[in-house]
Amino acid sequence: MSIGLLVLVLLLAVLLVLAWRWKLDFGPIVARFIEQFAILVPRMLCALVAAGFIAELIPKQTVSNYLGDDAGLMALPVAAFMGLLIPAGPVIAFSIAAVFARSGASTAALVTFITAWSLFAAHRILIYEVPLLGPSFLRFRALSVVSMPFVAGTLAYIVGLVTGFGEAIPIH
Amino acid sequence: MPLREPFSDPAWRRKVLGDAFGRGFWGFFALAVLMGAICYALRGMEVTRDILLNDLVQLTKLFPRVCVALSIAALIWYLLPRDRVSELVGSESGLMGLVIAAAAGMVTPGGPSSAYALLAVLALSGADRGALIAYITAWATLGLQRILIWDVPFLGAEFAFLRILVSLPLPIIAGLIARQLPIELRVRGAEASGERTL
Repeated sequence: MSIGLLVLVLLLAVLLVLAWRWKLDFGPIVARFIEQFAILVPRMLCALVAAGFIAELIPKQTVSNYLGDDAGLMALPVAAFMGLLIPAGPVIAFSIAAVFARSGASTAALVTFITAWSLFAAHRILIYEVPLLGPSFLRFRALSVVSMPFVAGTLAYIVGLVTGFGEAIPIH
Repeated sequence: MPLREPFSDPAWRRKVLGDAFGRGFWGFFALAVLMGAICYALRGMEVTRDILLNDLVQLTKLFPRVCVALSIAALIWYLLPRDRVSELVGSESGLMGLVIAAAAGMVTPGGPSSAYALLAVLALSGADRGALIAYITAWATLGLQRILIWDVPFLGAEFAFLRILVSLPLPIIAGLIARQLPIELRVRGAEASGERTL
């Protein structure tokens, strides 16, 4: 069992004890669980399968050519766009980031890519955000955070002008 | 808050089934089949099969997480003192509310299943729009668990540290932008609470 899951299980145990001591009615709690489970899980199955295929089809090596140091700040929009396109969890996103890093992507481009992916990963929006919070929330959030990958990337670019600190050492 | 259990109610059952296998589900289903067909045509049988097997492995890891995360969210939904939430991160909470929300996002354990389920609880418990955006932005860009498990091994500790550094202002900036946006925000809610306009 991973650490993340272990923490969640412990948290669940604490909450169960609390609910039991406060004599909460478990009927509505179970009902809410079932409602959210029904919204999430069937879509999750299909989205996961689709995401696996899409990640395979993205031309990673070609894109890397646009993310190098010589591209400067121009690499940021390309990196941000790539982040939007990866509809998959951290395993695939960070493997792709490592591919980019190995083929010479700049630190600023990597920061932009990861930030864009973490904010806009399409699978997360489609599986969790829209079903649980609705399209109005998605539109509102997108407007609020659309500039964030560029803010992070530009800050990383400025740091890079001053010092070489922070360069990625990708795994092989 | 409804105190009677709804399981025997046929309308509730129909709604749950509709949520599970409605239009959204079939859209995803079609996308998965289409992408699989393209992958098969371009990369051949072996790659397609490997991807499907890998999906299966991921699912077995994901399924227990989703179950635990949704149980937590369902419990918190009934345990959380709503008035305390609006006091801490409500519309009167100012900059401090954004900082608290961002800190909560950073330490929320688990993947999107727990973060979004908690976000939905917060949205209907009196958190203001800026705090909601600060929370989910911090979880996405600065989640400590993700940085430790993914950034450090894949790209190195130095890079991870730089990314934390340049990402620290993001949740606050995003939260401030969210408070200024002149558009209406409607959050989907549970049956009992209906929709809430923030």
